Amino acid sequence: MRVARSGSALIAAAVLAAALLLGGAPSSLARTAKKKHGGKPPAAADFDVKLPVLGTRLAEFPPGQGKAAADLACLQCHSASMAAQQRLTDKQWAKEIDKMIGWGAAVPADQKDSLLAYLVANFGPDNDRFEPTVTRPVGR
Amino acid sequence: MATPSFSRRRFLAMAGGAALLPSALLGAAAEVVSKDRRRMLQVNGYAIDAETPLDALTSFITPNDLFFVRHHWNPMYPDAKRWVLVVDGEVETPVALTLADLKRLPRAEATCVLQCAGNGRGLFRPPIPGVQWRYGAVGNARWTGARLKDVFAKAGLKATGRHLHTFGSDKPPEKVPPFHRSLEMEKALEDAIIAWEMNGAPLPALHGAPARLVVPGWAGDHWMKWLTRISPQPEAQKGFYMETAYRFPAKPGEPGQPVPPEETRPLTELFVKSNFTEAPARVKAGTAATLRGFALSGTPDIARVEISDDGGDTWKEAALDPRHEPYAWRLWSFRWEPKSEGKATLHARATDGSGSVQPKEAVWNPSGYLHNAWQAVEIEVTA
Repeated sequence: MRVARSGSALIAAAVLAAALLLGGAPSSLARTAKKKHGGKPPAAADFDVKLPVLGTRLAEFPPGQGKAAADLACLQCHSASMAAQQRLTDKQWAKEIDKMIGWGAAVPADQKDSLLAYLVANFGPDNDRFEPTVTRPVGR
Repeated sequence: MATPSFSRRRFLAMAGGAALLPSALLGAAAEVVSKDRRRMLQVNGYAIDAETPLDALTSFITPNDLFFVRHHWNPMYPDAKRWVLVVDGEVETPVALTLADLKRLPRAEATCVLQCAGNGRGLFRPPIPGVQWRYGAVGNARWTGARLKDVFAKAGLKATGRHLHTFGSDKPPEKVPPFHRSLEMEKALEDAIIAWEMNGAPLPALHGAPARLVVPGWAGDHWMKWLTRISPQPEAQKGFYMETAYRFPAKPGEPGQPVPPEETRPLTELFVKSNFTEAPARVKAGTAATLRGFALSGTPDIARVEISDDGGDTWKEAALDPRHEPYAWRLWSFRWEPKSEGKATLHARATDGSGSVQPKEAVWNPSGYLHNAWQAVEIEVTA
């Protein structure tokens, strides 16, 4: 299962992330991007412009049983990338889940096992799918 | 750049005199990271975490827009116009200082490395939970502001104020503990700065505007961003980010094994390390290749960087760039002449002023801090 990264989802996610980042205020990053592009397609030679803006939400959790629990528990404070980059054993994931529940993560008692199974199945010790997203320099 | 300060002039003098002045003076401006390398590697969407690719860390001064970004959670940026820094606790006169108040204090500058404590966490095996930083949660910048020493001369530090408690404006979500920290007052008074400029520009919001703490030589967890309050206290700060996080085993243990809290100590100085920033993928036998990189340590200064092409059996010294300050990184270059065709593996290791040598393996620790194992690069030598 690959972490989905479709273009339109990426743009929508960037706006969402930017809104979250600034507590609902219009994002200066998004504004800069809009001003810079001015509605015209970016020049092909401009390496920076071809790259997404820092602040992109990056990833969706992969489909599967337990995705809804992961969305509910994790996305309030992290983008899915935070979990998607981990390579943890079931013991390590169980510890993380308990830590996050203690910190306020919403994990209904009847979903805890499926959440653990989902995280281990997707982001277990042999998870080698995560790659950072190449973005523009900050604030240009 | 505003008026050169005393420390800048002293640095230039130290850097080797008139012959070096042009390159030293031009500094960052003379060293432009080439356009095709100007990018960031974002590892978290929100809270934003992004590291710099090693091949963009080629300049003595890391440009602000290529400097790694680390957040614990979505920040709440202070309004610089209404911002004040509260100085209270074990002081004779608690004060609230505006940015203008701080700017009336003697101007202090330091060029030094900021490295995330977790830089390299993704390289540890077995894996450790947390942001999987590889090499680029590090940069070298010129920080300008006021010395803590001068701030406390104004407020009147009491002898009982032995630990500086620091607070920023960011607030955690839900029941997540706040990022409250403290550091020993001795270090704070020695060389820490409240900085409002980064590389001659106002401190960017992502890096802690309007002002942040700069603690030369110490890991980034001490460099509180969006600083709102500093408070000397008799005891160290308590809480998750002091008692559980940002601690290191007092003695190396078995990889993968937990370490009881009483056998840990707070992280302070950065460990000596070096990285490659430029190395060709292939080189023709009989020709030379130039390798470049940086080296850093929490102990002044970098004494040497060595390169091995035989897995560490023998080492040859790299040339050190003349620019240095005690806690800045040191750029290096090495001319490598391959002996034979085939795949070669090269390693770099640094030694600091106290004689600490970068180890082949990093000390595995439960939170994955301060990875400093030798980095390897592979070069194919062709006929």
